[in-house]
Amino acid sequence: MTVQKAWKKLLIFIMVQVLLLVLITYVCDPFYQYHQPYLTDAQPFYDRDHQVPGSVRTSEYDSILLGSSVAENFDTSVIDAHYNCTTLKVVRASGSTADLLYYLEQVHDAQTLTHVFWCMDIFALNADTQVTLYSAETPRHLHTATILDDFTYLLNKDILFQEIPQNLAFAAMGKGTGGNAYNWAENKTFSAQQAMRAYAKPTQNVAPYIPEDSRECTDQNLAAILSEINSHPQVQYTIFFPPYSMIWWDCGYTSGISDEYFYTLEKALPALAACPNVDLHYFQAEQDIICDLDNYMDMIHYAPEVNQFMLDGIFSDSHKVLPETVPSVLADMESLFQYIISEGIYLYY
Amino acid sequence: MLFNSVLFIMVFLPLTLLGWFGLQRLENPRYAKLFLFGMSLWFYGYYNPWYLLVLLGSLGINYICSLLLQKYDGGRIAGCILAAGLILNVGLLFYFKYFNFFLDNCNFFFHTDWHLEKIALPLGISFFTFQQISFLVDRYQKQAPHYSFMDYACFITFFPQLIAGPIVLHNEFIPTLQARQNRRPDAANMLNGFSLFILGLGKKVLLADVLAIIVNAEYGNIAYLDAPSAWLTIIFYMLELYFDFSGYCDMARGIGRMFGFPLPENFDSPLRAVSVADFWRRWHMTLSRFLSNYIYIPLGGNRKGTAIKCRNILIVFAVSGLWHGANWTFVVWGLLHGLARVFETLFPKFRFRRDFFNRLATFLFVTLTFGIFRSDSLQQAWLLFTKLFAGGNNGFIVGLCNTLQITELYAVRKALELAFPTLLNPFYVLCTFGLLILSIALIRGPKAEQWISRRGRTSLGIFVLATLFTWSLISLSKVSTFLYFNF
Repeated sequence: MTVQKAWKKLLIFIMVQVLLLVLITYVCDPFYQYHQPYLTDAQPFYDRDHQVPGSVRTSEYDSILLGSSVAENFDTSVIDAHYNCTTLKVVRASGSTADLLYYLEQVHDAQTLTHVFWCMDIFALNADTQVTLYSAETPRHLHTATILDDFTYLLNKDILFQEIPQNLAFAAMGKGTGGNAYNWAENKTFSAQQAMRAYAKPTQNVAPYIPEDSRECTDQNLAAILSEINSHPQVQYTIFFPPYSMIWWDCGYTSGISDEYFYTLEKALPALAACPNVDLHYFQAEQDIICDLDNYMDMIHYAPEVNQFMLDGIFSDSHKVLPETVPSVLADMESLFQYIISEGIYLYY
Repeated sequence: MLFNSVLFIMVFLPLTLLGWFGLQRLENPRYAKLFLFGMSLWFYGYYNPWYLLVLLGSLGINYICSLLLQKYDGGRIAGCILAAGLILNVGLLFYFKYFNFFLDNCNFFFHTDWHLEKIALPLGISFFTFQQISFLVDRYQKQAPHYSFMDYACFITFFPQLIAGPIVLHNEFIPTLQARQNRRPDAANMLNGFSLFILGLGKKVLLADVLAIIVNAEYGNIAYLDAPSAWLTIIFYMLELYFDFSGYCDMARGIGRMFGFPLPENFDSPLRAVSVADFWRRWHMTLSRFLSNYIYIPLGGNRKGTAIKCRNILIVFAVSGLWHGANWTFVVWGLLHGLARVFETLFPKFRFRRDFFNRLATFLFVTLTFGIFRSDSLQQAWLLFTKLFAGGNNGFIVGLCNTLQITELYAVRKALELAFPTLLNPFYVLCTFGLLILSIALIRGPKAEQWISRRGRTSLGIFVLATLFTWSLISLSKVSTFLYFNF
């Protein structure tokens, strides 16, 4: 074969193979960068870091459920049925406020929202105010709409041999689809023994303190949330504080940062309750849940039944916080906290 | 920048080729050389631009030495210039590569408490320093002319050989750079070079990086290894290093050829060696040549009797060990190879009759000594050796095989996990030993260039090359560095 012919053949073979692989990734698109599934009716969600950025742009929805891993086990089909909406889960590990607001901005760019269900974490409110989304796990190109920077997505062995088969298998099995998107509860054990395994109570407590930068972060995060809420008066925000286990509260006490939690709550609750387009619900003072460690697998992660309990509470307004009830909610939480650190936690020792 | 990165393959290489041959169309070749020099600096400074100061400083000093040698031709002054040049080169290497090691040892042996911030090792400093030392010595011995700055700069910084060799001599590079007939692209050279690059890329990305999965996992777990898994770990490391370095050499030579520069061979099937001497004639050949020409022969070589010859061999191998890294593991590794060479010198007839057994013995020796080479410390090497020879058998090898999670086989793995979970362990063992057999088959097969000359122009051969290229390209999402970048 002549050199010219060999060159021609080599380049044609390479181009055909590359285009074929690009086409496969484009059509299957396991991270929903370009479209909703072509090949299956079901759209499985099982990898929040990689799938959230694309699904925010390409899915069809009019409501979102925003939060951290503790929000992942909500069955959004229940929300959809109650509010007659279509809800997309927009979740982020540790769910810092800056990251969630970044996603929210992307959501507003993509869809007209009617409802935001926000599972608000105390640790998200005093987290750093910088967006932490771009990392090796969520490379920048996953966050952009253009295909031009997607080389490592379109020509990627992990996508072709791992993500696409997994996505197709999940779709075929119906796993992670519909209201069960990102649900991680399967095969998890929720028990007091399991929960206590995650906590070694120190023999000596750290003196209470509130780090100055933490206060600044809380204030800035809260201001950013209020700005988001006030700039979208047509959107109804249902904000709720999920019930972490009493281990989490005791851990905060022994490590000296429980005052920081209360500072965050004292700032956030009245400010959020005062917003006309916010429904605020508070579940952290629910003693029957947080003091029963059989509901948990570690300090904060609870069983799906607790998610359902919260939804029932939201639907019935049983835990609703109004501006005038904020002081009593805080007082209840303070009194439950005192019970936990002096008595409740010792029931498990 | 790495050869095995999308940026290099899709942007840097095509751009540099286009610029180089495009500018060669101009009457004055200076612009093409300037472009090549600039691109090489981009390649070198991509991860850390501060390293450029070291490279350019070293380049400038050596060029000035060459200029002074031109001015003071012969005599004592020339000797002084050479000595100064050598001291500066070795000093630079010592400071960046060995100073922390030196302080650590002073603190250990003399109970001192000297501390210094960790000095970052500029990439490829050992390679470009040795290349410049060889040039200076050749200049002093009047075996090299004084070149223009641009020719010299291109010679030292030519990106395919800059970071991990081969250690090129001036007369292997600069005459080609200056030759008029090399200023036009040659389609056959380009095709052969690109084919060689693809085979090298495949060796690195599809083999060395997969072998590294087990090696990296198990070297962090030596305390738990039993004898079979310890043996498998060091054999896999030997194979990883082999394909890593062989792949790099193929890529470097392939790129060189695309630009019209036939870089010297650096790797000649070393695992087929029948003795340690033979191994060093095949492994990192340009380093062996440097050590032979610039240390062994000046020390007297084999001209002054057996005792001096043995001493020289030990010195050369100690330097070779230290050149590979500032750690006692490298020194011990070098000395063991030196001792083996001395043994072969003293007892040349102490060999098996059949080359198969000589090959096996050499492979075992080299693999065991590279086990020390890979260790973080002599303590870790000792622990590894206790596992190799007194580790027993607790079935850990199945766990070792389980670490080999090959992406391409993910679907099979998951299917087995769901349908036939009992077959999962046999599957991992099969994968591991399949990889071992494939590696051995490739080592025994034809060399990359032989394969290209036999199959590179057939339809099947071209299809294989294209598939290897595409497969490597989709494997670049997790980029890894070359092992020889560390030296």
